[in-house]
Amino acid sequence: MDLENKENQSETIESLTKEAETLKKKLEDERQKLNDVTLAQVAERLDIINYMNIKPRRTLKGHQAKVLCSDWSPDKRHIVSSSQDGKMIIWDAFTTNKEHAVTMPTTWVMACAYAPSGNLVACGGLDNKVTVYPLSLEEDVSLKKKTVGTHTSYMSCCIFPNSDQQILTGSGDSTCALWDVESGQLLQSFHGHSSDVMAIDLAPSETGNTFVSGSCDKMVLIWDMRTGNCVQSFEGHESDVNSVKFHPSGDAVGTGSDDATCRLFDLRADKEIAIYSKESIIFGSNSVDFSVSGRLLFAGYNDYTVNVWDTLKCARVCLLYGHENRVSCLQVSPDGTALSTGSWDYTLRVIFFCKNYIFV
Amino acid sequence: MEPDHRDHKCHRPSAFQKMEGLVREMQDTEHGGVPVRSQKLFLTSIPAAFMGYDLIEWLMERLGIEESEALNIANQLCQYGYFFPISDSKNLVVKDDSSLYRFQNPYYWPWQNRPPDNVEYAIYLSKRTLRNKQRHGLEEYEIEAMSNLKKNLANKWDFITQQAEEQVKLSKGLKKADKLVSDSQERAYWRVHRPPPGMVSSLEPCPVPTRSWNGGTRTRKKTIEDCKREVELLKNSLSRTRVKVSQALEGMVQYVEIYMEYDPLITPTQPSNPWVSEDLTYWQLNSPLEVMMHRLRKSFEVMVKRVDVPTEKRVRRWALSMEELVSDPTGLQEFTNYLRKEYSHENIRFWMAVQDLRRSAQSQIAWKVQEIFDEFLAPGAPCEINIDGKTMEKVQQEMKTPTRFTFDSAQEHVYTLLLKKDCYPRFIRSEYYKNLLATGIQPSQKKRFFGFGQTKKKVSTTTAPNQQLLQQQQQSSQGTVVMCGALSKRRGSDRSLSGSAHELAISGVKETKVPHSHSQSNLSDIPYRGDLARIAKLPAVTAVTSCNQTHSNVSPVKKPSIAIVAGASTSEDVCPWESGAAEPRSRKNSAAIDSGSSSSDLSVAITEVSEKVQRSCMLTQQHTLDSCRNLSAQPAEPQRRASVSVPIQHSSEPAGSSRRKVSSFEESSAAGGSASAAAHPPSKPSAPANLSETDNKTDEKVSKTLKKSHSLLKTFTSATGGGSNAPTISVSPVMDDVPSEESSSNTRKDEKDELSIYCIQEPMAPLAEPDSESPGSELPPSEVGEMLEREQEVEQGECEGQVAQEQGEAKANDVCPWEDEETCKVDTPFVKTYATLGYL
Repeated sequence: MDLENKENQSETIESLTKEAETLKKKLEDERQKLNDVTLAQVAERLDIINYMNIKPRRTLKGHQAKVLCSDWSPDKRHIVSSSQDGKMIIWDAFTTNKEHAVTMPTTWVMACAYAPSGNLVACGGLDNKVTVYPLSLEEDVSLKKKTVGTHTSYMSCCIFPNSDQQILTGSGDSTCALWDVESGQLLQSFHGHSSDVMAIDLAPSETGNTFVSGSCDKMVLIWDMRTGNCVQSFEGHESDVNSVKFHPSGDAVGTGSDDATCRLFDLRADKEIAIYSKESIIFGSNSVDFSVSGRLLFAGYNDYTVNVWDTLKCARVCLLYGHENRVSCLQVSPDGTALSTGSWDYTLRVIFFCKNYIFV
Repeated sequence: MEPDHRDHKCHRPSAFQKMEGLVREMQDTEHGGVPVRSQKLFLTSIPAAFMGYDLIEWLMERLGIEESEALNIANQLCQYGYFFPISDSKNLVVKDDSSLYRFQNPYYWPWQNRPPDNVEYAIYLSKRTLRNKQRHGLEEYEIEAMSNLKKNLANKWDFITQQAEEQVKLSKGLKKADKLVSDSQERAYWRVHRPPPGMVSSLEPCPVPTRSWNGGTRTRKKTIEDCKREVELLKNSLSRTRVKVSQALEGMVQYVEIYMEYDPLITPTQPSNPWVSEDLTYWQLNSPLEVMMHRLRKSFEVMVKRVDVPTEKRVRRWALSMEELVSDPTGLQEFTNYLRKEYSHENIRFWMAVQDLRRSAQSQIAWKVQEIFDEFLAPGAPCEINIDGKTMEKVQQEMKTPTRFTFDSAQEHVYTLLLKKDCYPRFIRSEYYKNLLATGIQPSQKKRFFGFGQTKKKVSTTTAPNQQLLQQQQQSSQGTVVMCGALSKRRGSDRSLSGSAHELAISGVKETKVPHSHSQSNLSDIPYRGDLARIAKLPAVTAVTSCNQTHSNVSPVKKPSIAIVAGASTSEDVCPWESGAAEPRSRKNSAAIDSGSSSSDLSVAITEVSEKVQRSCMLTQQHTLDSCRNLSAQPAEPQRRASVSVPIQHSSEPAGSSRRKVSSFEESSAAGGSASAAAHPPSKPSAPANLSETDNKTDEKVSKTLKKSHSLLKTFTSATGGGSNAPTISVSPVMDDVPSEESSSNTRKDEKDELSIYCIQEPMAPLAEPDSESPGSELPPSEVGEMLEREQEVEQGECEGQVAQEQGEAKANDVCPWEDEETCKVDTPFVKTYATLGYL
């Protein structure tokens, strides 16, 4: 009986897989029908951004191990960063002072995030947990820590969805989850990836209830936070998707992958609209972010560099060196005035650059 | 989710595939690979080697890239062990010169099968101990490693030594050259896999199970649920409406085009980017209101008082879309204010309440849902919103199981139908909005003509580069080494190590340029140093009153003074212009204003001033309400007088002018205070801010602690740096103010004293350059530059107000280019300067 059951099941899995295949083909046909022009063509009329004046502004030194993740505070000058040795540091990036240093009871703190109020940070990693720390100047931050949620595998990314009261996490157990900070209750879980979730990002809209996730199954999925359903999926990457970021317009998603490409997927056209790659770029991209207009896409790579892409012209604007090991995380500050990068070389940097008007 | 047939036992990042492809091409000497041959080095011949620059050249040609990028790739390949330097066994670094490298045997390429284990390492190490000590002797870290291995692998040690002996014996049969090559390859292999301590290894294992060397199962086995879910999703996707790619792309391009103006990484920010200038003004101008959403919510009531004047640009942005408006707290508040005036703000309040609900803790959901229902939806609710029956039904359905999404349908209805299609367009068309736009602050309009970087130029001028400047330069050149600059930077740098040459060149250019530009621009700047602060100050004084202003057509400049009188009803003296000797001036002022209103150019300028006034009012009010009130409301007459006298003693200037300056100082002090406060909104415990404030003040070397509170500093430097009269005077007034500002501590006073002394020591000549000893010049150049610019702005404002009476006073005033530009009563020379500055 048992055997038979199993066989039945495998048959259905097979048939379902087949059905999925045919559906995919149809879908691809549908998408192709509407594919009438390329982004570079549309962007032809725009001026080229050909030279960026680069200003390394700050170097944040203090981690004793690889920096794995960082996040800007909403106040635009503080940064939280986490590292391989279990340290989490809150920086005043403007003065480069360390304001708090917290030691986590785990190594490889792969995710950290600032709450929208700036009064709370969350982090987690190989401990499979997401822990929040209220920030206060009076007492030791770690005294008030609170474990909010636990996954069955490492936690790879976390983000506060416009609220101090909730936290959204992605995990190596291939799920994402929404937690209630106060009670630690699991509000919603998101199943659909078939491998480790590596990155998540919220839709930029105030009213948005969607977020995007990227995973080692090479898929990029868009989710509805209310229902827990996946509402849209994109494939195209040839390897792990390490990073996802909504375009500021909310109509597209930028991704960075181990296949050494970054891509742009449009939600309305329902397809990939741009691929940012070069033959000379061999190594995977770990982290991507857009400038506030969405014109520039910054991507940190395993070859220690940051590439700056013109998203519309699909061309590289410039290439930044500086870190002495992989660039693991990168984020444009909330008001777009600077770019922070974190690296396995133990440092974080704040970079400013600008289209140069003088030395064109 | 296509089924992945790859063997998941071994996870292998795709980069390895690419690297191997590239290295194979390199080794293919017959088809244009990297030339490998025996190289002669002195008298010895080195087999199977290639030179650094051949490799770089090859990469550049093959990939069509610049030298810097080729160098980076070559170094990566070397780090991964695809080739290695022959003469340097410690560092895996590729140099773009004639140094020699050798390809690694593919057998030793990384990530082939599995990571090497300790037994192999032990064999390798013991092999080396069996051989010629001179050539094969172990490094210290290797000796240590070997003794550890001996302990850990004690039971296998016999086997290990046996193996080692065997291998040594075998290798004896090889030709000398071959032996040399294979020895070096083996050694390089272990250099990569067992790096000396402190060295970076690119092969460091990642603790994430699925990404480590031996991978494990990459993909979870699919369950039937997964498949069903996938099919479901695909079906839904098929029926999804999608737009033509051209349409989507057009939309995106348009979006980007609109927002590029608001992108600080593309369009320089006004007045300056804080990260570049160290000047926090930009952040202050764009900071959100302190009133946070949750506070709003508690009472469902928005504070009526306007606590901020947003910048013009920010206001303009609100017109881009409703989303823009409501995502800016200030915008949301203005919108609410507007709707309240129209008695139709229940919709926006409902919308905000639901937004808040959505962000609430789980435990609060139930009562919040009820509260919202009672307030907005229940029949006869105090603030009933108008939704259609269908939506109402839905809501009532949802109310049975209250969640954070209970009111989503109603919110959606309100948002799209009422707010977005009705209220929002009305708001944007309304006089109210136009007023906001008109009164919005426009930080330094002229600045747009300068690229950034300009600032530096000015400062680096003729004065001997001071310490800070040097540092800065060092930094920047360091930066390039570190950051290596953009590709293009390397062009023409002729194989120099990095782009630093380029950077240097730039700074060189800057310096050479200085001579032209600075003479005039500085002329104009210096006298106004104090004014910068003053502008900000003005507002502070009038803050209380001006916030109530409705921004009618009354000339803004007038308002301040009027307001002051009103606010400080007891004493006229409080008004800086009207006090004492300055009285005639104030009259002139008003006269100027009148004339201004008639001549459109002037009036423009005036509006600017007023904007600034208002803005700074906001600032002060918002952040240092109390102190500001004290300032403005207190009959500070006697104190002021006293202060005035001080400057007079020191400066030979006419009393009138000193007066004026006094007022500006006051302003500056307030501005300083408020600025620093602004940087750290009071709601957050801002210990560091306070600290820094006091620090700066107490510390004579104010400028050195720059980083802590830039704004403050700036005020000070503006006062002191110029070395002109204005600063001197300004400081002393500050002192006077101190008592009135009860909130500020006495320490402040002290410092100020010091400062003033300082200033007094400064050369009085208005035209003097900031010299290197003056505290001001210790500022990092960019900062000073920024300041200058700000000042200019300020000046402009200032000038406008005082143009009439001051012209005779200091020659420098006439020079202010901004003013000229603004009023269009252009002195041609200035315009020229300006132009040169801008385009150099």
